[in-house]
Amino acid sequence: MKRFSREMARMIALVLVTGVAAAVLVRYSPGTFVDERELNQQLGEDSLAALRAHKEHNRNLAKNLVGYFRGLAHGDLGYSESNSAPVRQLIADRAPETLRELAIGLIGGWLIGLGCAIPVGRFRRAWAWDAASSGAAGLVLSLPAALIAYFCLTAGAASGAVLIVVLAPRIFRFARNVLVQAYGSAHVEVARARGIREWTILRTQVLSDAAPQLLALLASSASMAIGAAIPVEAICGSPGLGRLAWQAATARDLPLLMNLTMLVGLATTLAMSLSEAPGLRAGRPGAGDTA
Amino acid sequence: MKAARIGAILLLALVAAGALMPERWAAGRYDQQFRELPDAPPSAQFPLGTDAVGRDRLSRLLYGTRVSLLLAPAAALLSCLAAGLLGGIAGYAGGFTDRAIVSAADFFLSVPWLLLLLIVRACLPLDVSPAASVAITFALLGLMGWAAPARIVRAAVASLMDSEFVLMARARGYSSWRVLLRQLLPNVTPVLLAQFWIAVPAYILTETTLGMLGLGVAEPLPSWGGLLRELEGVSPLDQPYLLAPAILLAAVVGSLQLILPREDYPV
Repeated sequence: MKRFSREMARMIALVLVTGVAAAVLVRYSPGTFVDERELNQQLGEDSLAALRAHKEHNRNLAKNLVGYFRGLAHGDLGYSESNSAPVRQLIADRAPETLRELAIGLIGGWLIGLGCAIPVGRFRRAWAWDAASSGAAGLVLSLPAALIAYFCLTAGAASGAVLIVVLAPRIFRFARNVLVQAYGSAHVEVARARGIREWTILRTQVLSDAAPQLLALLASSASMAIGAAIPVEAICGSPGLGRLAWQAATARDLPLLMNLTMLVGLATTLAMSLSEAPGLRAGRPGAGDTA
Repeated sequence: MKAARIGAILLLALVAAGALMPERWAAGRYDQQFRELPDAPPSAQFPLGTDAVGRDRLSRLLYGTRVSLLLAPAAALLSCLAAGLLGGIAGYAGGFTDRAIVSAADFFLSVPWLLLLLIVRACLPLDVSPAASVAITFALLGLMGWAAPARIVRAAVASLMDSEFVLMARARGYSSWRVLLRQLLPNVTPVLLAQFWIAVPAYILTETTLGMLGLGVAEPLPSWGGLLRELEGVSPLDQPYLLAPAILLAAVVGSLQLILPREDYPV
C-alpha cells in the first residue's frame, strides 16, 4: 500500500512537472505573442485593443498557471485559441478516435506479433518461417512510423491498421525470444514426453512461464502505441489526439499543449509503471528505450 | 549471421563512400536548379529524375545521406556524453544527487520522445538558415536523448561502486578523480559504446520523422525526411524512383540494427 501511494505520488508529480515545463517552454519561445490577426486591416481599433489586452493578460505565466490549476480543480481545462474551442470539448471529441485506433493497433499488433512468434518457438525446424518473420520485422523496424503511414495511406489503410503494422514487429521480436526460451525449458520437454497435447502445453506451461515478461511487454507496447499515434495521425489526417498534439505544438497553443502533454504523460507514466511493477520488472523489455 | 553482419558493414561503407563524394555521381549540387527540366523522369543525366523546381534528386539524396550519416552519430555522441556525465555522477554520488538526476530522467521519459521533440522543436525559431536548422535538429536529438542511457550508466556505476576493486581503491586512499578515471570509466565505456550504437539508427529514424512532419532540416538543404515528403499524395507505383530515399534509409538503418541487434525500437 505504501509503495502504491509512493508510486501514485511520483506519477502525479511527474505529470504536473511535465505540464508546467510545457507551459514554460511555450511561454518563453520566440514569437509566442506574435498574432497574425493584428495584420488584418479589417479589424477596428477596439478589436485590436481587445486583442492586445488579452495577450498582455497571458504574459504572466505564474498567474496563468494558478488560474489553470484552479480551473482544473473545477473541470475547466481552458480555451484553445488555435481551434476556437474549449480544450475539454476538443479532448472529449478526439479521444474516442485515438482510443479506437490504439485498441485496434494493440489487438492487431499482438495477434500478429504473438501469432508469428508461437510457431518459431514451437517448431525447432521452422527456420524458414523464423527467417521470413524476422526479415519482415527487421524491414518494418528500419522504417519510421510516418513513412509506414504514407505507404499504408497509399494502400487505402486506416490509421488503426498503420498502428498494427508499426507495433506487430516490435511485439514479435520480443515475444519470439521469450517464447523460444520458454519452449526450451526442461518441463516442456517432459510434458511432451508424457504426450500432453501441444495446445495444453502452450496454455499451461509456455504462456504461464512467459506471462510476466509478456505482461511487461503489453504495458510497454501501450506506451509505444501512444508515441506512434502522433506521427501516424498527423500523416493519415485522423481526427485524434495525436494530430491535435501535433497541431498544438506547431501553433504553440499553450492551454491545449499543456493539457495534452499532461494527458499523454499520464498515460505513458501509467504504462511504464505497470511494466516496472514488481514481478514484471524481471522481464521488462527495452530497458534502454531511447525513443 | 556473421556473413550478414559483414554484408551490412560493407553496405554501410558503400553508402558512406557514395555520400561523401556526391559530386562524382550526381549532375550538380543539391541546390542547383535545372529550370528547363522540372519534374523530369529518370534519365542518363538524372538517374532519379528532378524535383518540382528542377533539382537533381540523386544529388539531393546523396547530400541528404551525408547529413544523416554525419550528424546522427554526432547527436548520439552528444547524448552519450551527457548520459555518461549525469549517469556517472548519479551512480557515484548517490543520495540526493542520485534521486534528483533519476527524477529528471524520469521526467524526460514520461512523455513520448517524439512529442517531446515536437514541442521543443516547434517552440524554437522555425524561420532559420538551413545550417542552423541542421544544428538545432541534431543538437535537440542529442540533448533530449540522454535520459534512457543515463539510467543505464547510473545502474552500471552504482553496481561498480559496490565491487571489490573500487572498495579496495578507496580503502587505499585514492582520490575520487582517480577512482573515476582509472576504475569506473574503463568499465563503463563498453556500456556507453553500446548506447551510442543503439542511438545512431534511432536518431536517423527520428530525424526522418521530424522532417516528414515539417520540423526537420530546412530547405534547400536535403535530408531523408524532407526528401520523403515528396511521397505525400503520390502513388509509389506510378513513380517508383521516389522510393529511393526509403530504400536507402531501410538499408542503412537495417544494416546498423543487424550489426548491433536490439529489442526496443523507436517509432
